[in-house]
Order: sequence, then structure tokens, then C-alpha cells
Amino acid sequence: MADYTKWVSSSRGSLWRTVGLFFVLMGPGIITSNVDNDAGGITTYSLAGAQFGLKLIWSLIPIMIALIVIQEMCARMGVVTGKGLSDLIREKFGAKITFYLMIGVFLTNMGNVLSEFAGVAAGMEVFGVNKFISVPLSAFLVWWMVVKGTYKSVEKAFLVACIFYISYIITGVIVKPDWGHVFEQFTHPQLSFQPSEMTMLIGLVGTTIAPWMQFYLQASIVEKGIKIDEYKFARFDVVMGSVIVHIVAFFIILVCAETLFKHGVRIETAKDAALSLAPLAGKYCSYLFAFGLVNASLFSASILPLSTTYLICEGLGWEAGIDKKFVEAPQFYGFYSIIIFLGAGIILYPNFPLIPIMYFSQVINGMVLPFVLIFMLLLINDKKLMMGYTNGPIFNTIAWVTSIVMISFTLILLIRMI
Amino acid sequence: MDQNLKDFYFFSDFLNRKVYQSSDQRMGKIVDLVAERAEPYPMIIGIMVQTQGKRFYLPWEKIVRIEPQITLSEKEPLVLKSSLPEKDIVLLREEVMDKQIVDTFGAKVVRVNDLHFLRVDSRLRLVHVDVGFRGLMRRVGWEKVMDQALRWLFSYDLPNQFISWKYVQVLSGSDLLQLSVSQKKLSHLHPADLADIIEDLSGRERSAIFHALDTETAAEALEEIDPKIQKVLIETIPVEKASDIVEEMSPSDAVDLLADLPEERAEEILEGMEQEKAEDLRELLVHPDETAGGLMTTAYLSLTPEVSVETAISRLRQEAPNLDVIDYIYVVDAEEVLQGVISIRDLLTAQSHQTLSELQPPRVVSVKLDEDQNEVVEAFAKYGFRALPVVDEENHLRGIIGFRSVLDVLAPDAG
Repeated sequence: MADYTKWVSSSRGSLWRTVGLFFVLMGPGIITSNVDNDAGGITTYSLAGAQFGLKLIWSLIPIMIALIVIQEMCARMGVVTGKGLSDLIREKFGAKITFYLMIGVFLTNMGNVLSEFAGVAAGMEVFGVNKFISVPLSAFLVWWMVVKGTYKSVEKAFLVACIFYISYIITGVIVKPDWGHVFEQFTHPQLSFQPSEMTMLIGLVGTTIAPWMQFYLQASIVEKGIKIDEYKFARFDVVMGSVIVHIVAFFIILVCAETLFKHGVRIETAKDAALSLAPLAGKYCSYLFAFGLVNASLFSASILPLSTTYLICEGLGWEAGIDKKFVEAPQFYGFYSIIIFLGAGIILYPNFPLIPIMYFSQVINGMVLPFVLIFMLLLINDKKLMMGYTNGPIFNTIAWVTSIVMISFTLILLIRMI
Repeated sequence: MDQNLKDFYFFSDFLNRKVYQSSDQRMGKIVDLVAERAEPYPMIIGIMVQTQGKRFYLPWEKIVRIEPQITLSEKEPLVLKSSLPEKDIVLLREEVMDKQIVDTFGAKVVRVNDLHFLRVDSRLRLVHVDVGFRGLMRRVGWEKVMDQALRWLFSYDLPNQFISWKYVQVLSGSDLLQLSVSQKKLSHLHPADLADIIEDLSGRERSAIFHALDTETAAEALEEIDPKIQKVLIETIPVEKASDIVEEMSPSDAVDLLADLPEERAEEILEGMEQEKAEDLRELLVHPDETAGGLMTTAYLSLTPEVSVETAISRLRQEAPNLDVIDYIYVVDAEEVLQGVISIRDLLTAQSHQTLSELQPPRVVSVKLDEDQNEVVEAFAKYGFRALPVVDEENHLRGIIGFRSVLDVLAPDAG
């Protein structure tokens, strides 16, 4: 790593230098965004395509802009302060607020981990693998990667995992969509204020922008030790990540719209989507779709428990780190084990009310997100903390509007659910 | 001030409490406590009160009662000033509460949950910081609930986790500037512990604490720090200081660090150093990382065969502070060709009038400059030496490899 950096920074050609530096520094943004396309995300996109066809596809563009704005703020805070988000929140807003926020974050992330393992189980069932084999195996894999691997090798494994999202793009090309029609849907956005459509739209927003992402992105930027003068590369990484995630989302919606929606097939989960694809678009399409689901779920399942544990320990001031022994960091290992154990264990429990639990975790997600966004905006405009890198007026306006729209959307979602 | 006061108070007993001017007239709420900057146990000299969105400083003397409610003296009219007293002060909430501090006794970085004050007559002195779960629960307001639950379930009382203020090194706010003054606290730490602490800290605190160290301590700590962080640290300090620090480091560590830096920066640092040392380092820099040349250091003692044992011992005594390895003396001829190796044990047991040529064993084990590092490790395991000489093709002594460098190859992540 150090060799590359040296080689890149000493090379003369400015284009080479720029491209090279980007490859050295890329990772956090792209990984965070791809983890975002997890089991819950794929389910929501599948449902959006199957129920409404291409009607809502235009919404991906504003959602993408919102994601870029929010993620960029995190990346900037990470680079300028060199601290994680929960660390900053604790130092600025005190122990009480942090404590309750951490409880909220723990619950929502617990729900997310649960849905990742559910995604693994569902995806593997398409291939005919029983969940009593796939879930314990994946839980062990997740644990092993973190405890036995270093961040560097784990990160490389994750970057490779990102490539497997291409399976969705291939599926999208296989189904041969009418591209003219697709383009028209983007240029002529339409929205009728029907409750079902609104709920889906809110669902799309909610699944794309989640509280844990901000914590994770900032932590990995800090971990990577990116300096202020290298920040533009980190920013590009964040933008790239947000664009890639939406390209993948676009193809998932496209596949489901071109097949399931056209033939009027009703689905309820991502597994339904994968299975229903077989008679309409062929067996391989179905396999590719399921493979994407397993990859996404496994990917997120390996990141979420660890990042949750880190941020909680950081916020509450407990020792954290996989290089510590159990007696040095009991809370760290305790939380980590609880999250994986519960996440995988609950899925195996027969007749577990999974849908209500996922609903509940969505509700908490919605309750935590506004706080995280407001804290972020307050932090990033703190001159003492950010020095010369606070938001400018234009950026502030975009950020506040995004946050207010996000907050009102999640509030509507909450009211609907209750 | 009235009687029946507690002997100890917590910061959380004051934070956000209302302040009354007379028994029923509310004036504002406490947002911060102000302590003098003094050792070992600073006294609280005033409070920061917030009224209608503005913050004011009130000297402690103005308070006539703490219980049941904080009441100010009515005798004199209140002059509300927003300015703080001029002398050295610490705003406890802004600079200490919820922040990371260094516990110099336990040699680790911890987060402050609460502060513990001792009442002396009518004044408070800061005696402990609370870093335990109990302190956290107290802040959240669940201390009593937690106590009852734990007692009922396990008959267990969660103890406080206090660190005496005299072992606390604050890292944030204005204290950064004062760090060099109170730095004595840090100099108690072993360089390896200091290195761990610097690694555990983040961002500005990390560089601040490093800046405050004196050259020698900084060099010792830097040797133990993770290479990635080493690089960041050395890039944030002025070149002259960097040169001084690198000069103090052992040559093998210094070379590893310089090799990781961008070329221009490394060159600048070398130029700021003592001529002789810089040349040594330049020579070492040529060798690739994974070979014997990349592991070796030039801080060793070499003497010619006709030197007497007595002279050798006194030379060793003289040079020892600057040597990486003192276990061996290397015997070379006028052309720097390696003739022999003499251990300190041989030297001490020999007659003082003997010459080195009489002592040296017939066979010398050495490694070549371009030997792979794994071969070097093999040689160490095979012969059990604490250091091995490195020679070039013509058997000229170019450097030595100490046992510590081999440890870095074998267990790069340990420590």
C-alpha cells in the first residue's frame, strides 16, 4: 500500500497521478453505497418494479442527489476532524443524547442484520439450500472474516464483492427492455398522490438513506487516514458510490418492471421476484437475481454488526477494536456476538414473525434518521470543529432541504404505519 | 454557605440546574463550571449561567446556597459579564466532559463520563474523573433505577471508576497550548505505552500530543508507532523539528520511516540533519525493504584488531548512548573488512591488556547485503545471536541487524 502511494505521488504525469491516487484512496464511499443495496434495498426495488413498472423510476435521480449530499458531509467531517460521527456527537451533544441515540441505532441495525440473514436464507433457498445450513454457515463466515482478517484484507474482499452487483445489470440486459420507453420515464416524471404509490416512494427513500451509513462511511474514511489535500478523491469516491448504487437499483427495477409488472405477477419478497423470473426470463435470470441477493445480504451482514459495535463503543467510551483481547474490551465483543447471534439465530426460529420485526426496524430507522441528519448539519456548520470546511450557503440550503424532505417523508411513513 | 452539604459532588449535580436570584426568582441555568488551571487538584472558581440564550460568568463567591436550590447572594446587585476572568482557567464542560483524556497511570485513552468534586469548606476542588458505566448512567439519569435493578437481580453494587485528576492529561481546547507545561504527566509513560496512546487518539488530539513531546521522547515513541500513523505525524510537524526527531531515532527505524515518505519531504528532513547521520541514513535508504540491507542499522561500534580490551571497554562506555546494539564489538581492519565479532561477555572476562585480535573467535557469522529477510531470520534462529553483521561482496562491514528488527519481520502486528 505504502509503495503504491509513493509510486503514485512521485509519478510525473498529472493524469496518471490523479487516476492512481484515486485508486489508492477509493473504497469507503463505494463500499458504503453498495452495502446500502442490501436485502431490504433489493426487496424494495423489486417491489417497486413489480407493482408500478417504470412509473417511479425517475425518483432515483433526486434520491441519488440526496444521498450524495448527505454522504459528502460525512466524508468531509471524517477527513477534517479525524473522528467518527458518534465520537463527534458525544463530544458536542453530551452523554444523555448519545446514550438514547445509541439505543436507537442498536435497534435499527439489529433489525437490518436480521433482514440480511433473512436475505441469505431466501436467496440460498432459490438454489435449493436449506436455511439451517446457509444461515449458520454465513454467520460463521462473517465472524471469521472480522476476527481473523485485518481491515485491509476485509476491505479488498468487499471491493471484490461489489463487482458481483453486475449480476443485476446482466439480468437487466437479458430481459431486453424498450430503452426508448425507459428514457421517456426519466424525462417525464409522474406522480399521482395515491397512498400506495406514496408509500412505495417513501420506502425507496427510506431504504436508500439509512442512519448506519453515515456512521460507517465516516468511520472508514477516518480508518483510511485520508488527508485534507486528498479529500477531492474521497469526494469522488463517495459520488461514484452513490451513482453505482443507483445504477444497480435502476436495473433491479427495470428487470422487475419488464417481466413481473408486464405479466401482472404479484410478489411480496425478493425471493418471490427471483423465483417468478424463471418462467418469464429463463432459469439463469432467476439464478443471477438470487445470487445478487445472497451476495448483497452477506456483504451487508459482514459490515453491519462490526460497524454497529464500533460506533456504540466509541459513543459510550468503551474500548473497541478487534486487536484487543476479550478482557480488555468485553463490551465490544459482547455486542458483536449478540448482534450476530441474535441476527442469525432469530431467522432459524420456526414461524418467527419476521415481517412485523422488519416493519418495526423500519419504524425505528425512521425515528433515528432525523436526529442523525440534524446532528450532522449542526456539526458540519460548527466553525470551531470544521475550521475552513463548513458548508457554504448553497450546500447548506441543499442539505437542509434534503434533510427536511427526508424527515417529513419518514414522518409520513411512521404515521402510516401506526 | 449553609450547612448539611455533601462532602462530594458530581458535575452532573450541577449541569443544567436552575439558578435562583432570591428564593423564587429564577435567573437561568448552569451550563458550565469554571476551574482554575492549577495542580494537582484545581478549585472551582465560578459558573457559567445561561439566561435568555446568553452566557454569563458568575464567580463562585456569589453563590450563597447550593441546597435545596442554587441561590445567589442578594446583597449586592448582580453585574452580568460575559467575559471570563483573565487568569488560567478551564471550562470543564467544554474541555473535559465527554472528551477523551489520557489516564497516565493506567496508560490508556478513556472517555470522561462525569467529574467528581471534593468540598473543602465552601469551595469545590476537582479530584477525580469518572470513566465508568455508573457515571454514564448518572448522566443519563438512570443511576437509581440501575442500582435497584442490579441489587434486586444480583445483589451487586456497581462501583465507580475514578481516575485521580493528578493522573489525567486533558487533550482538548486551550489545554493543547498548555500541554507542554503539564507534559510532565506524559513523560512518566513508557515510550511504547505513549505510542499506543497516540495510536488510540484521533485527528487533532493525536498530533497535538505528539507536538508537545520533547524531541527525545517523540523519537522514542515514534519508533513504536504504526508506520501509517508515523508518516502522518511526521508530515504534520515543521521540517526542522522532523529532522531533529528523526536524528534521535535508531537508524533502522528512521530509514523505514523516511522510505515511506514522499521523496522531496524525506530529502528535506535529511538536509536538516547532522551531516554524518544523514549520510548513514542515505546509505541505508538504498537497500530494499525486504533484504538484510533494509533491516540493518549503522549505530554499532567497530574497532581495529590492535585495540586493547581496556580501550575497547572505555570506548563502549562512551558510545553506548548512541548505539542500537551494545552486545557486540565488531573488529574490522583499516579497509573496513570484517575480521571478527567480540561479545560484551568476552570483553568483560578478558584481561585488560589483551588486544582484540587475541580474543576474536576464528569463525565469524555474517549475512550479505542483499540476503532475503527470511534468510536473516533463519540465521538468527540457527545461531542464537542477538545481532548479526551485514557485509557486502568484498566482506566490508556495512551494518548490523539487531534482534528487534527481526521481531518486526516475524510479528509485524504484535505490540
